[in-house]
Amino acid sequence: MIISPDSQAMLLLCSQIGLTIDTELKPLTLREWNPLARKLSLLSWRPGDLLGLEANDLQKHLEISEENAKRFSKLLMRGGGLAIDLERLANLGIHPLTRVETDYPQRYRDRLKDSAPAVLFYSGNKELLGQPGLAVVGSRNLDDVGRSCAEFVGNACGFSGLVLYSGGARGVDTISMKAALENRGFIVGVLADSLEKTIRKPEYRSALSKGDACFVTNYHPSAGFSVGAAMGRNRLIYTLADYAIIVASDVEKGGTWAGATEALKANWLPVFVLEHPSMPQGNRVLLSKGANSLPFPLPVHPADLKHWLDEHIISKNPQNTQPSLF
Amino acid sequence: MDKLKIKALYYLQAMLGANCQFREGQWEAIEAIVVRRERVLLVQRTGWGKSIIYFLATKLLREQGFGPTLLISPLLSLIRNQIAMAERIGIQARTINCSNLKDWSEIEESLRCNICDILLISPERLNNSHFVQKVLPEIAGQIGLFVVDEVHCISDWGHDFRPDYQRIKRIIQMLPPKLPVLGTTATANDRVIGDVVSQFGQNLTVLRGPLARESLRLQTIRLQNQGERLAWLVENLPKLPGSGVIYCLTVPDTERVALWLRQNGFQAEAYHAGNDRELDRPALEKAFIQNEVKILVATVALGMGFDKPDIGFVIHFQRPGSVVAYYQQVGRAGRALDRAYGILLSGAEDDDIQNYFINSAFPNTRTMLDILTVLEQNEGLGFYEILSRVNVTPSLCEKALKLLEVDGAVGITRGHKSTYFRTPNRWVPDTVRVERVLNLRRAELAQMQTYVEHPGCLMQFLQMALDDPSPQTCGRCANCRGKGFSSEVSQELVKEAEKFLKGATITIQPRKWLPKGLLWDQKVIIPNDEKNAEGRSLCYYGDAGWGKLVQKGKYQDERFSDELINASVNLITNNWKPEITWVTAIPSRRHIHLVPDFAQRLARQLNLPYLTILERINDAPEQKTMQNSSMQARNVINTLAIIHKIPDGPVLLVDDILDSGWTLTLAGYLLRTNGSGNVYPFTLAQATGRNA
Repeated sequence: MIISPDSQAMLLLCSQIGLTIDTELKPLTLREWNPLARKLSLLSWRPGDLLGLEANDLQKHLEISEENAKRFSKLLMRGGGLAIDLERLANLGIHPLTRVETDYPQRYRDRLKDSAPAVLFYSGNKELLGQPGLAVVGSRNLDDVGRSCAEFVGNACGFSGLVLYSGGARGVDTISMKAALENRGFIVGVLADSLEKTIRKPEYRSALSKGDACFVTNYHPSAGFSVGAAMGRNRLIYTLADYAIIVASDVEKGGTWAGATEALKANWLPVFVLEHPSMPQGNRVLLSKGANSLPFPLPVHPADLKHWLDEHIISKNPQNTQPSLF
Repeated sequence: MDKLKIKALYYLQAMLGANCQFREGQWEAIEAIVVRRERVLLVQRTGWGKSIIYFLATKLLREQGFGPTLLISPLLSLIRNQIAMAERIGIQARTINCSNLKDWSEIEESLRCNICDILLISPERLNNSHFVQKVLPEIAGQIGLFVVDEVHCISDWGHDFRPDYQRIKRIIQMLPPKLPVLGTTATANDRVIGDVVSQFGQNLTVLRGPLARESLRLQTIRLQNQGERLAWLVENLPKLPGSGVIYCLTVPDTERVALWLRQNGFQAEAYHAGNDRELDRPALEKAFIQNEVKILVATVALGMGFDKPDIGFVIHFQRPGSVVAYYQQVGRAGRALDRAYGILLSGAEDDDIQNYFINSAFPNTRTMLDILTVLEQNEGLGFYEILSRVNVTPSLCEKALKLLEVDGAVGITRGHKSTYFRTPNRWVPDTVRVERVLNLRRAELAQMQTYVEHPGCLMQFLQMALDDPSPQTCGRCANCRGKGFSSEVSQELVKEAEKFLKGATITIQPRKWLPKGLLWDQKVIIPNDEKNAEGRSLCYYGDAGWGKLVQKGKYQDERFSDELINASVNLITNNWKPEITWVTAIPSRRHIHLVPDFAQRLARQLNLPYLTILERINDAPEQKTMQNSSMQARNVINTLAIIHKIPDGPVLLVDDILDSGWTLTLAGYLLRTNGSGNVYPFTLAQATGRNA
């Protein structure tokens, strides 16, 4: 594996790789990285030009505080540890993908702008990230209607060659991923935790090695589950897809609700909500907030779902603005 | 002289003494690392002072605020006098390995407090998740200098193949610029150096010194059989100066040679890494260094990092597999002496043993694919779970898993029991590479064969084989001087040695466990009253002594000779003396009469009844085709049956060749659980290949 100096610098500055959670040395947040990226761009520098610079050089060229200059230089000195960890991860089938690389998902750049994660880790076929597809979201615990809808969306992706985007978690995600793979579809799981463990599961491993799957995360590949991470992750599911289908949501609580209202507000893509007599309260409120309705029993054969969605959008099209720098 | 060099010289003198100056190349290497922060390849013979380079470079880098040095070496620990030397300039070195678990938290603490300056690890540790996720973060991954010891292993053309060095190669490619790397090796030919250069990239400073060993007197002597060589040792060891090492190729050979020498009045001890007998190797090394033991009879386990300056001679009882291995081993002699001897004895068995090593160097593709298939069907499997599903020897299985792990096809989670799992990475067998390595081994072997017959200067031969830039005739070897030790040995002594070889006590240790996966998932202890007693074998298969006769009896005559019967009777009645009341034999479908016929004749000579008790109930594959305990045991238990009533007295259970020991263990188990008394196993020979 070859890694560009630009990516090296971004991994050193912006990722948790080679650091523990409780370490004093903290990587840069996006809020810190974005202004730095703009400065580099004004200087006509690339991130890789930072490698090997010592604190006083950094302070002089970047006009940052002494404290930050020291911190950045310490982060940049982690090259040895980074190389060792990246090699270990590559052996497990896990690779980094930074915002500076051309194969970083364009949809993140376009839709998330400055809040597009600086560093991603993925396993499997990265070409799938951002290919036409449907995002499915919903709770981990489902009723029968929810289950059959999850399966339906998975089948739909399989039949029509669309990518199924999900959080790769239990419940909706697992059911729809299984259905998609059984129908020779493609899946992308945007994980909030343990990329390392997820890709070990035999049911995903063969899809990963055949190129039918990609698991991606903006957290450390060995990170454990945290609620905050799951919340922050949802937008990364929506912003890869053409349509989102919300199977079940609570009201005013939980990741599904937070993600769905954010998606509706940001207008990244048309959002559909499963509508049926016994639907959870959250679905009802989301519909009233302007989400499109996907009625149950489902109106079409799975193979025709995409077509049906195309014809049933009532909300406005997403608009475009300036995408992020590196 | 610039300030940094003055400082470096000051530290050098603090380590080695007031009048010490830099050797040619030493300062250049330090300067490239510390000032230009570049990469350096150091090819210098052992004892040149490679460690001085990284001690001084570490000291100077640390003073500039850089992180500690990571020293990657197959050696498990720094040599004690090296640590003492480093401490003189305030360098703290620590090592993390699997044998010092209790020290880990202290070492992690010393990294956290930034007082550890050099961390020594084995290449395997680079892939250990604890190391990567707990230890390295203690220094936030801020490694100041990478040192790769035995760096020739990065190259496929290197003389020893260590899969984990592939990992180092990939890590080096991902290191950012301005992170200095030092690669060191004692021996690398042009091709290996070229390979390392291409891996390390531009800006690589290569420092390469001459290889000649000025005090060494080389000689080669051909003596076909072991008896002659044993006799030669007894006749010639008294003529050799000081203490020395005798290298053998196999563990049983070291034990046998050491025993023979002790019986002839020499202070000799065997030194090896065999697991049959736990050796206190550090104690042996110490006794040898202090000249309390005059002769170590060693396998290659006595290797890198062992440093005794006054070794007077290195004798090879058998011929090593390559010039590099030979040069390194013989180069241990005479480091601080004016005169030392390197004598290569070689004999008939050398090629067989070397070919065995070469052929078992790599697991075959079929095995690798079989392992991947069982791992693909499961989320994770333990080592023994893999063994019970794949027909492969434990050692080849280990090798296969290691190769697959380095190739990224298999991952490991470590715990009290390691679990192997399949990664999503594709794996295609690299047969071209395997063939290349094997061909290289064969070529190296051929070169060594040439060395034995070489009529010219032997030192020059070694230098040229290693691409030394300035090979010269030495004027000291037996060929240069036209005289050396005689290859003639007294026939009387040879007879005695042959008698010794034939009379050696070779025990069969009873197996204590039934393997995992046979009856239950777990290993099961065999209760004492169902376990075999300790048994005996007459010889090692194929060895000088009786070994050749066994081979001839089994595959040529299909009948074991009376000579073997007499030798067996002699061993049983005069030497071993087990209390037995009857004799039985292990049946075979392939050689129906061979063993029963031998056992019957043996019983007649022992004046004991012979009874046919066991029978093969169906055609089992030959036991030797079963590659591991689980498979072997299952193969036996499915095919052995008791067909007659068993007398209750103790019994001699006879077989021809002991391989895994499972046949005897399970046959004994069947006999005991069906009413017989103690079971004493006896075989004509033991196969040595697996234990070599």
